[in-house]
Amino acid sequence: MPNILNTGISGLLASQRALATTSHNIVNANTDGFSRQRVNFVSRPAEISAVGYFGRGVQTTSIDRIQDDFVQTRLIATTSEQSRVSTYHEMIGRIDTMLAEQNSGLASNQANFFNAVQDLNTNPTSVGAKQSLINSGANLADRYNGLQAQFDALQTETNNRIHTTVADINSLAENIASLNNTIVRAGGIKGEKVPSDLLDQRDKQIAELAERISVTTIEQQNGSISVVVGKGLTMVANDKILELSEIADPTQPEKTQITLDGPQGPRIISDQLTGGALGGLLDFRREALDQSMNDLGRLATILADKFNEQHVQGITTAGDFGDNFFSQPNIIPSSSRNNTGTANVSVSLTDSTALTTSDYKLQYDGSNYTLSRLSDDTTFTGTGPFSVDGLTIDITGAASSGDSFLIRPTRKAAREFGMNISNINDIALASPIRSISPVSNLGTGEISPPTVVDSTNTALTNSVEIVFDDPTSTYSVVDTSTSTTLASGVTYQKGDDISFQGWKVQIFAEPDPGDKFIVEFNANGIGDNSNGQLLSDLQNALLVDGTSNLLDGYGSFISRVGSSTRQAKINDDSMTALLQEAEESRASVSGVNLDEEAISLTRYQQSYQASAQVISAAENLFQTLLGAVNR
Amino acid sequence: MRISSSYFSQRLASDYLRKQSDLSVTQGQLASGKKINRPSDDPAVSVVNSSLKQASSQFTQYERNSSFAEARLAIEETTLASVSNVLVRMKELALAVNNDTLSQNDNLAYLTEVKQQFAELLDYSNMTDANGDYLFAGNNVGSRPFVGKKDISYQGDDGIKDVQIGSGRTVASGDSGTDIFLRIRNGSNGLAISASDTNTGTGRIKSSTVFDKQVYQKHEYSVDFTSSSTYDVIDTTNGSVILSGQSYTPGTQIKFAGIETSISGSPQTGDSFSVKPSSNQDLFSTVNNFIDLLSNEPSSDAEKAQRKQKLDSFLRDLGQAFEHINSKRSAVGTRLVYIDNSRDENLSIKFQIDTTVSGFEDLDYAEAVTRMQSQLTSLEALQRSFSRIEGMNLFNLL
Repeated sequence: MPNILNTGISGLLASQRALATTSHNIVNANTDGFSRQRVNFVSRPAEISAVGYFGRGVQTTSIDRIQDDFVQTRLIATTSEQSRVSTYHEMIGRIDTMLAEQNSGLASNQANFFNAVQDLNTNPTSVGAKQSLINSGANLADRYNGLQAQFDALQTETNNRIHTTVADINSLAENIASLNNTIVRAGGIKGEKVPSDLLDQRDKQIAELAERISVTTIEQQNGSISVVVGKGLTMVANDKILELSEIADPTQPEKTQITLDGPQGPRIISDQLTGGALGGLLDFRREALDQSMNDLGRLATILADKFNEQHVQGITTAGDFGDNFFSQPNIIPSSSRNNTGTANVSVSLTDSTALTTSDYKLQYDGSNYTLSRLSDDTTFTGTGPFSVDGLTIDITGAASSGDSFLIRPTRKAAREFGMNISNINDIALASPIRSISPVSNLGTGEISPPTVVDSTNTALTNSVEIVFDDPTSTYSVVDTSTSTTLASGVTYQKGDDISFQGWKVQIFAEPDPGDKFIVEFNANGIGDNSNGQLLSDLQNALLVDGTSNLLDGYGSFISRVGSSTRQAKINDDSMTALLQEAEESRASVSGVNLDEEAISLTRYQQSYQASAQVISAAENLFQTLLGAVNR
Repeated sequence: MRISSSYFSQRLASDYLRKQSDLSVTQGQLASGKKINRPSDDPAVSVVNSSLKQASSQFTQYERNSSFAEARLAIEETTLASVSNVLVRMKELALAVNNDTLSQNDNLAYLTEVKQQFAELLDYSNMTDANGDYLFAGNNVGSRPFVGKKDISYQGDDGIKDVQIGSGRTVASGDSGTDIFLRIRNGSNGLAISASDTNTGTGRIKSSTVFDKQVYQKHEYSVDFTSSSTYDVIDTTNGSVILSGQSYTPGTQIKFAGIETSISGSPQTGDSFSVKPSSNQDLFSTVNNFIDLLSNEPSSDAEKAQRKQKLDSFLRDLGQAFEHINSKRSAVGTRLVYIDNSRDENLSIKFQIDTTVSGFEDLDYAEAVTRMQSQLTSLEALQRSFSRIEGMNLFNLL
């Protein structure tokens, strides 16, 4: 016959445990990463008697942690990806906002600049128009510099964020390793006694790590978890971790790279770190930031190069050839810190319209140099010099095998872009030469204004006479400054180009025998805007890739950023929705529902009271028995 | 599905935040009046927009350029009109002078007036525009182009400043002094005729024409009288004698080398007349010729004939100048019309561009206000449902 008292006591104990767990659930309802727990009961083995089996009460077998590995894995993966796209979106959104016209003002400043050129063309002698051209040039340079400064700030911020993220990753890995240790010592996850709250804590640390980098976990026999981050990099094994550290990039010191200590010293592993906020930052830097700086720099390079090229072909009011209008950005290749040779690489710009926005890498293998265009990995092999994409790359000195150089033709251009002239008298608006048809001519022949073909020709500004023979089917050309006959008996064809000493003109209609036309230095041509007209034409010239004008080039840059941002937003939104769903799944399985717990609370309270009644009944029985005996 | 109490509140909070952020976007659009505030709002449109805006700003610039060119050409037009008036007056004076019964006082009065007209012409030729730049100096706009008191020399050049008044459209914003005042053909019919200053007879050469262009060689010829009734014709360009010992009858046609001319009056032995191809003679020289002839009162018949001859030449040269100035003036007028037309076209293109830009980026207020209303409603619904649902809790009933 079973002991009713014992049965009652087993009920009391079981209800107490259940009530403890329920209250634990209730108070942890808002604890992050908490998984609800459940107490499992079984009935005690029955006692056999002549009439059958009598139950002997209840016993608590285990306290379960309600959790689903599949849901958890999905949550971790989604967290990583969401964090990556959201970081990327946040960062590229900054560029997007920066480039909004009301903020950047680049397009309107550029339009103002070219308008100022035209204003000066209509009033070549106006001091106000000259000053306004200098000012609007400076404003335009200011906009380029300003945008570049913001890019630089973004670069610094990216570095800082990489720095904090790496520190977080290291400390989270440290926490996971130490929790591994505690869990193993607490008996692991095998057997009846599961350290639920420690496991919750570890899962929470893993989720936080996943926010920063992509994470794969492998559960070990002893209850510890190995954590693999990025592309197969085991960061935590048992209670050991591999610590990430940072160095400045060997060829681009302004960039922070992430390294892992190895037998041969630190090894750069940035490319292996994917996913999470860190992956987002690295993606942003590689795809958006570098690209945007190159895009902006290319526009600055082209504008400076083409405007200067035309400006130096004109003459100032003092009659001197123009200087560079804008300062021409230099292209300085950076050599790797690990280079051991003495080779020196110099890069010059030969055709800015052929420039790309790519960076280039030059590597020496002991016999040949290989130049790779990093945007599409096209390679050019040879001993140098290289002529690629409007650049000429010269190599002097001897490189050692394995030496490498990084060439970023457009990276710093927007920073170095500025005004080279500041005095209004340095504006070269006039053509260096003019054509004259003397009033002594008797025929109807007319000469066009001359076009400068080669401003470097030393004889460009010499006086040259084109004299028509009798009959006028031929003419001769004489440089009267040097008294040299340049040509004689040339057949006259109306409107044909007549080119000598760096210029060309056309003659139309019917000159008379002996009529002459003069091409000479444009002395005192202060009202001339011939060169100004050519400068103004640059606004609509197809300079970017030879297919679009400067503004359209800027437009397609903005549109690339705009589209990427839009895409990033779409990715962010959809990943956020997926993350929400994953969190919901986890909450649905492991989260605490207070109503449910209220019911449990009542249920176990009642069962506790009932068990107490059993004890009281047992006591009554006993008292009854005692009373019967005492009577 | 099981609902986790804490996740339920979290979810509510994030929904609430999202709706608030949508609302703030709409509010931002209402505040700026633009539906595109950054490139990612609509990448394609924001590119088209920035090109269109630059195009619009270019058209604004063309408008400025046009106004400038118009103003400058208007000054030139007025100046040329004044020059033309001076020439008309000059012609009246020349016709008056042609009168044989001119007293000495009349002559002096005319001389004074012509000198004054000359000064006036000089002023017009040195006219400046609103910037103080000389109108007729070519590109050497900083220095006075026509200098001198009587013999005027030109200090400018042949430069003409083109101004851009439309896409691919330029207009010359002026003419050089050479073109207006220097490059004027003298004589008539392509020939300039004159009598030698040393002639002693009363012979006068009349207007000449080229009747055979095939034969005419653009050489200079002289008709030399070997006696009062015979003459030779010499090609002075190459020194060859074309006709010799021709007998002279006053008023009959003389033909040589494709040229037809006639001489009247009574030339004396040794008198000579020349026929040359027209050449360029500046307006000031032409007027100076008039001043010179007025300065010398004729006394003999020979001198009177000389004066008539010179007056004839002057009238012909003046006629050429008048025609030249007026053709330049009408060219200026044509340019003004061209500017006007191009302006109209520019304005209508600019208007189209601005309309397109506005369609792209300006906010449709009706749509935005409706959107905001519906966002507000949904936010309010969320608030109400939250307070109702949160109140439902079993613990309240325990």
